Amino acid sequence: MSATTTTLSGTGQPGPSSAGQSSGIIDRAYQFLRRIPTGVLWLIVVVWSIPTLGLFVNSFRDRDAQRATGWWKVKPSELTIDNYDTIFGARAGLGRSLLNSAAIAIPATIIPIAIAAFAAYGFAWIPFRGRKTLFIATVALLAIPLQVALIPLLQMFVGGASVTLPLLEKTVVLIPDFDLAGTTTSAWLTHTGFAMPFAIFLLHNYISSLPKDLFEAARIDGADHFTIFWRLVLPLSIPVLAAFAIFQFLWTWNDYLIANTMIGANASQQPTTILIANLAGDFGRNEYILPAGAFVQAFIPLVVFFALQRYFVRGLLAGSVKG
Amino acid sequence: METLERTGADEGAPGQPAASAGKGATPQTARPTKLYVKIAGGFVLALAMIYWAFVEEKIRSTLLTVIIAVAASGGIWIGANLLFNQVRSRWQMFNTIAFAVVGAVLGIVLHGNLVTIGSGSGFLTWVVGPLAGAASFGALGYVLARTDDPQQRRAIALGSSIVIGLVIGAVIRDTYQPGLDPVAIVVYTLVGIVIGAGLSLLLKHPPLGGALIGAALGWVLGAWGAADLGAGSIATSIIAALVPAVLIGLRLGMTKNPDYKARVAIDNRSRAVIFIGPALAFISVMLVIPAIRTAYLSLLNKDSTEFVGADNYKAVFDDKNSLDLANWTNMFTSVPFILGVILLVVALIVGISMKKRTGRAVEIGNPTVAPLVVGLLFVSFGAFTAMRGTLINNLWWVVVVTFVSTAMGLAIAVLADQRGGERVAKSVIFMPMAISLVGASVIWRFVYTARDTSTEQTGVLNALWIGLGRLSTGSGLPTIIATIFLVLVLVGLFMVMARMLVRYGPGRAVVPGIMIVLVGWLFIRFTGIVGGGVGGFQTLPDGTTVGQTVFFVQETPYNNFWLMIVMIWIQTGFSMVILSAAIKAVPTELIEAAKIDGATTSQVFWRVTLPQIATTIGVVVTTLIVGVMKVFDIVKVMTNGQFGSQVLANQMFQEAFSFQNKGKGAALAILIFLAVLPVMIYNIRRMQRES
Repeated sequence: MSATTTTLSGTGQPGPSSAGQSSGIIDRAYQFLRRIPTGVLWLIVVVWSIPTLGLFVNSFRDRDAQRATGWWKVKPSELTIDNYDTIFGARAGLGRSLLNSAAIAIPATIIPIAIAAFAAYGFAWIPFRGRKTLFIATVALLAIPLQVALIPLLQMFVGGASVTLPLLEKTVVLIPDFDLAGTTTSAWLTHTGFAMPFAIFLLHNYISSLPKDLFEAARIDGADHFTIFWRLVLPLSIPVLAAFAIFQFLWTWNDYLIANTMIGANASQQPTTILIANLAGDFGRNEYILPAGAFVQAFIPLVVFFALQRYFVRGLLAGSVKG
Repeated sequence: METLERTGADEGAPGQPAASAGKGATPQTARPTKLYVKIAGGFVLALAMIYWAFVEEKIRSTLLTVIIAVAASGGIWIGANLLFNQVRSRWQMFNTIAFAVVGAVLGIVLHGNLVTIGSGSGFLTWVVGPLAGAASFGALGYVLARTDDPQQRRAIALGSSIVIGLVIGAVIRDTYQPGLDPVAIVVYTLVGIVIGAGLSLLLKHPPLGGALIGAALGWVLGAWGAADLGAGSIATSIIAALVPAVLIGLRLGMTKNPDYKARVAIDNRSRAVIFIGPALAFISVMLVIPAIRTAYLSLLNKDSTEFVGADNYKAVFDDKNSLDLANWTNMFTSVPFILGVILLVVALIVGISMKKRTGRAVEIGNPTVAPLVVGLLFVSFGAFTAMRGTLINNLWWVVVVTFVSTAMGLAIAVLADQRGGERVAKSVIFMPMAISLVGASVIWRFVYTARDTSTEQTGVLNALWIGLGRLSTGSGLPTIIATIFLVLVLVGLFMVMARMLVRYGPGRAVVPGIMIVLVGWLFIRFTGIVGGGVGGFQTLPDGTTVGQTVFFVQETPYNNFWLMIVMIWIQTGFSMVILSAAIKAVPTELIEAAKIDGATTSQVFWRVTLPQIATTIGVVVTTLIVGVMKVFDIVKVMTNGQFGSQVLANQMFQEAFSFQNKGKGAALAILIFLAVLPVMIYNIRRMQRES
């Protein structure tokens, strides 16, 4: 352990320029420490994945095994898919709730895309007075907490909307009661409205950065706004539309607050998040099927996420970095 | 399609900034097979989806609703576009069709609501009314567009509007003939005139036109909306219909056919409405108007029948559960607070010495920053555990989750940058973003599980904690190994500190010094020099030690922190991805230049990289603050606000929808809104600066 070589092979990091001056053992320890960051990174990765891993393992163990030992002591013999059978069964009703989740997430993904694409194009390429102010006002709503709109929205879905004319005591119905209380329709309508500021912001960032010459050339050729939007902007914007679609799908599929407010106790229309939360609510009794349920709920977003991560990241970046 | 492929191909790792169209193309010839496989896979997937959709009634009906809704509104939208395509070059055609559409809509409204004579059940009535409207209005539009003589136009507009008003008044069913209320008519007409003229002036038009339209609308509202329908005669209904028709006719006669320049302006303005209108309609109905109404509801009592002023807000702040500062002195005795104060003292000493050496006490990247920031965090932690209540909890959430998520995300982004396995590591840490907050809460519930100590622990954290206790209080080989390990770590840290002291002076030795204090404290506790050891154990009166679990979710106030961990677990991935992209976007020339000037890796990071990504950090922090302020799912699922872990969003939900106290729920929602208002204003400022 006396002073030996000061340069160590295999570290991949060149030693400090003045390495010869101090004793070897400290340098050697220092070189060892230089490799710690990689170790720390992978330690974080392990810590980050342990909770999910535990859930995944436990979802394949029966009730008694889950209660007896921790998931890290799993034995191959006790693996079973009974939990999945139970949770898809009629009493737990996971299958139906998955359909409800899809019934919310699909329209809540498709419809905002179209509407927001129009608006993003309008804000980016149609000149009109007050455009900038209106755009900033729209996008400022990004930060508005949904809670602020929930109570009146629920009232609207339950009983429509009406105003009483001043002076006359006469009520005018603005929005009739479409009998939407407690339906998946009310949930996706709400999602559509709430998604709008973010969607416009994201798509506008992209559409406004398309080269200006393109539009001028099309204009000279006599194309109108509708043609330019339909033939030029829409095909060029497919990447960002995909990014938003993934974003919105994950958000609506995973949403709990809006679903719980709009659908709440109506069991036949509940999406999976409410089902899982309810299972977690009644302590003890159903705890053993909870891992399976949570895993099924997370499965679809995880597949979407890993398959289309590139677009998701792109959406995330376009939505926040470019600001 | 080509853009999709191109941008798809040139993005290897996650975390590269979004590519805009028009980038140089990369060769695509390399993998056509892969493309075909992808297309085929997508096709199969689509077929499976369609099959599934057909089998499942729920999906089928939803898809049908969506398709019908999209087709109908899309048809209207495209129709509007095609109509306004005529504005520039074919004004006469445009005018005819536009008038006909207005007429048809009027016909549908009147005939469809069974207001007019001849309407009733049956298919034909749906055709007759709209057709009549379209034909008469279309003819008017055609004639108007043909002539440019102002006098002729005035005569045509006035004459035909009189005819139309007379006809509409005459065909109203007697059950709908209004009994006129002169006061209402006068009031509403006057209000209409004022609003119309005001709007015109605001848009810098002559006020007469707006006043006429406003008067017409006011008259309609006063004569029809206010009236007792069915109490009138044919005369009253003619009066009620004729006057607004004449007013609109006068307005129409005032204008002349627009020249090309004016038509271009009309084209642009109408396109703006067509393109932006639908989105604004959704935002208004779903977001803006409800938000305004919530502000109004928050001033009313629980079932919105009585005006109570600020009572709801007062109730929130007076409630001991919202804000309890009675025990604030406890924070001086809490461990985090004392640790934080020690760190702040260290920061002060270092700061003074840095001031002497470099002239600046605090500077990004100098040794004062680390103890200062961590010390402040610890002090706030101590303060938040001593003061209790919903508002304090929210503040605590915001401070801890925002800070830790950003710092962790930045640390991971730096650690992973250009290292082997970067993609895998980042994917794993990013993954929780895809899991719902409910799912994450369930996942962490199993991590936090505490079971009776007589049985085995099934939660990871309690198992580790009790294991540590056993290790610390035991006397077998594992205990000895662990002790030796701790000693080695301590020695290693001492060596690092010594090297830092020799090489770079006391400034760089601060961080290892703090780590020595922490690890040394752990060592002293672990070996039982002070206290009986660390970990989950309990010494019984007879001298034996048994395990003791931590009830992570139930023990106030630290359960708040354990709930925050769930949020941190999710949000770290978000800040990591964004900060990683920002780091990669820092120009390499800058970093190369700094290195050539002899900067070390850490100097490059603190002095070059960090200032470059400062704005991005700002974006991440603001996004996190907004997200954390409205945290709901985690608290709802894990504790439902029990055990002193209530937050505003969950309390709002409970008050508004469980206890049916609309007033207080609305007040809480407004409080959340007010809390994020500074962030909104900051964002608006930023956008104004950028554009």
